[in-house]
Amino acid sequence: MSKPSVIVVGSGAGGSVAAWVLARAGHPVLILEKGRNLLPGLGHRGRPGSRFGNDEVKSGRFFENQDPLLEPRAQRSQAEAEQGVAHSFVGDVNDLPTTVGGGTIHWDAKTPRFWRHDFKGLSMFGPVPGANVADWPLAYDELAPYYDRIERRLGVQGDVHRMPASTLAQAPRRHQFPMPPNPPMYAGLLFAEGARKLGYTAYPFPMAVNSRKYDGRPACNSCGFCSGFGCPINARGGAAVSFLHRALLHGAELRPRSFVYRVDVGRRGHRARGVSYLDAHGRRRKARADIVILAGSAIETARLLLMSSSAAHPHGLGNRSRQLGRNLMFHYFTLGVALFRENIHAWRGPSTTHTMDDFVGPVTGPDARAAGLPYFKGGICEVGASVLLLQEAQLYTALPNGWGTQFKAEMRDLALREHLGAIQLVGEDMPQKANRVDLHPRLRDVYGFPIPRITYSPHQFEMTASRYYAQKLIEVCQAAPGSISAGLTAVPLVPGGPGSGLEGPNSTAHIMGTARMGNDARRSVTDRFGRLHELENVYIGDGSVFTSSGGFNPTLTIMALSLRMAEHLAGARGGGVTDGRHRP
Amino acid sequence: MLALAPPARVRSLLEAARAATGDGRFLTKHELATLRAATARFVPGPPYDPDPGALQAGVAEAIDLMLGAFRVRPPLIHAGGPFSGRAGGRRDDFAHFVPLDRLATLGWRIRLEGSRGMRSREFAGPVVGLQEIYRKGLAHLDERSRSAYGVDFAAAPPPAQDAILSDQSDSDTQEFVGAALANTLEAMYGAPEYGGNRKLVGWTPNRWLGDRQPAGFSPAQVSSPDPGPRVGPAAAALFSAWLAAREKGRP
Repeated sequence: MSKPSVIVVGSGAGGSVAAWVLARAGHPVLILEKGRNLLPGLGHRGRPGSRFGNDEVKSGRFFENQDPLLEPRAQRSQAEAEQGVAHSFVGDVNDLPTTVGGGTIHWDAKTPRFWRHDFKGLSMFGPVPGANVADWPLAYDELAPYYDRIERRLGVQGDVHRMPASTLAQAPRRHQFPMPPNPPMYAGLLFAEGARKLGYTAYPFPMAVNSRKYDGRPACNSCGFCSGFGCPINARGGAAVSFLHRALLHGAELRPRSFVYRVDVGRRGHRARGVSYLDAHGRRRKARADIVILAGSAIETARLLLMSSSAAHPHGLGNRSRQLGRNLMFHYFTLGVALFRENIHAWRGPSTTHTMDDFVGPVTGPDARAAGLPYFKGGICEVGASVLLLQEAQLYTALPNGWGTQFKAEMRDLALREHLGAIQLVGEDMPQKANRVDLHPRLRDVYGFPIPRITYSPHQFEMTASRYYAQKLIEVCQAAPGSISAGLTAVPLVPGGPGSGLEGPNSTAHIMGTARMGNDARRSVTDRFGRLHELENVYIGDGSVFTSSGGFNPTLTIMALSLRMAEHLAGARGGGVTDGRHRP
Repeated sequence: MLALAPPARVRSLLEAARAATGDGRFLTKHELATLRAATARFVPGPPYDPDPGALQAGVAEAIDLMLGAFRVRPPLIHAGGPFSGRAGGRRDDFAHFVPLDRLATLGWRIRLEGSRGMRSREFAGPVVGLQEIYRKGLAHLDERSRSAYGVDFAAAPPPAQDAILSDQSDSDTQEFVGAALANTLEAMYGAPEYGGNRKLVGWTPNRWLGDRQPAGFSPAQVSSPDPGPRVGPAAAALFSAWLAAREKGRP
């Protein structure tokens, strides 16, 4: 008797983990991915190769990234939505790589865990006016074993003995990391010293980067082309090289350039029969399966479910709660920058090697009350990054008339790539019902389907936290040995409120929350394992299910949730992987 | 003209373009001369700056190659990988450009050629292609120069060229500057396989080691400061001014 068949939509962090678990358990698995495959040898014996290089031009030319001329997204603010404005921007809105392996193709592989309090925000801190705060239907301790196993499979470096006690109290670990930390970046060491002087603790950033040969892949050699660049040597773990490759070896089938436009449901509307998609030649095709797992990331998954409306599901598939598409969360990045006398070359290394948890919060008391908030939280800090050469040139020339002899002198003599160090706060974003994804009423993408429209405005919670912690970021910059000037800046190329320090949530690539999980089907879209409340066999395996955004890079949590969901599925459906043991 | 060219063909394509009529792959001889003059103001070389600039790097020629990307197969859009051979590795993988598939081709045709009134290309609304931006922009620079100085842009003195290029009240010029400056930076500071950065003149004077795979950096190179120039109060002042200008320059 063959096991239930599975369709996985999307080959990124969540989809690849689910495909691996289920293929290994003997389920027939078909993975449909709308992007190309850029990893030669993926799914064949031996190790996958790479077509990525230390090439700043290619990364800016939509090699792995979604091309906004083909698949644009629309955006507007909450105020514009209230005034009936259809959109105020069309283009790249938090686009992720559209390629086999998804966002992890060019992540810098930072893998902090969420904290206990991230799962229980409502019961621990109470409601926040204007926000839609809820507890997750699971707690940290339930997810911890899945974190452990994802870290081993993915290959995560770190050092539990150097983690602050406060971090370990919030995110306890049973094991040391599979690998020791990378050689520390010099800039990270300087900022760590600055942090120490102020009573903070910078420590080795947990990340899925090989510090030694691991899983048949080589050690990182600190080339410096990390965040935003595909790894030329696959020293970075990720969806494709750590999970999908194995899923394919276990017999799963991958169809790249396959755009799923509808989840097909049976007549009574309580079971999916499969999906409809456009194949690599643009032909309409159908695939049938017993189980459908959606993992196209939070914007695309919400869009697909909204496009799958029917008589039985008039507001989108599984949207009786009317929460689908809502509670969209982006992280924001607030940056403190320092100029150093020496050449600290903070562009070398895996983007950053240090992190700091002192600005996670919560903050209560006068600072919160003055902003009308019961409390606020910030997030993790990425400590000690810089820019590459072309990125530096783009920074200077972003100013009007920023070219010419002055520019040339800046490239040679200011040389920010050599003297700049940045410390970046990854700030928690409150869920709001009005921050949402819906279908654009008019605009269609290259596939002929409505483009996703993002309505987004920050909450006072983020504005306050960003301002509050920005001052502390500057203090760390000033305390770092050898820094001669410090200030605030923001994610380049994104407009935002001057002086707020809160800019660029549309480009932080951390996207969560459009189909939140919960025990109450009236207030959430999926159950505690990611199954749509209203469908027997449709699951979500990406960041859509997040109930809060935490102040931590989300990918490890996406993977751990997907692992838990897929093993639940394999167990519940007569699959084999129920013992919870790790077997590569 | 579709040419199936050998892997290390970029240099020879450039040489061929120069040898014949003087026309480029897309731009005419005259347009190329105008673009050389404009890019030389964006990234000046001697005598305006001691180090080589856009002229010496071959920036205009590289931009022309990109504008005519579809005249060769595979189009010169995405260099290959993983290694260039400059820091180990047996060959220059970068020179083996990656073919575009059906959708990637459409995206780049729209980007270069524009939507040209075709609804089938207007997913993000009407798109003015880079080819048109350059063709019209370069002609516009000539018009501006002739009306103000009586000569073509390329023949105008550099301060006059600067005055035209920096006129923020002229939206036609600024549309051209936006595109041409972005492409200039790519050709100046990007990998030489794209046709610019000749003899690594965009990298060497800036102490940039460029692509370091597969050699990478040693632990000592990562964890200790590099020798080389230190910066002082002058750079700190420049840095503060730059931060302030960013703050002010935001929309």
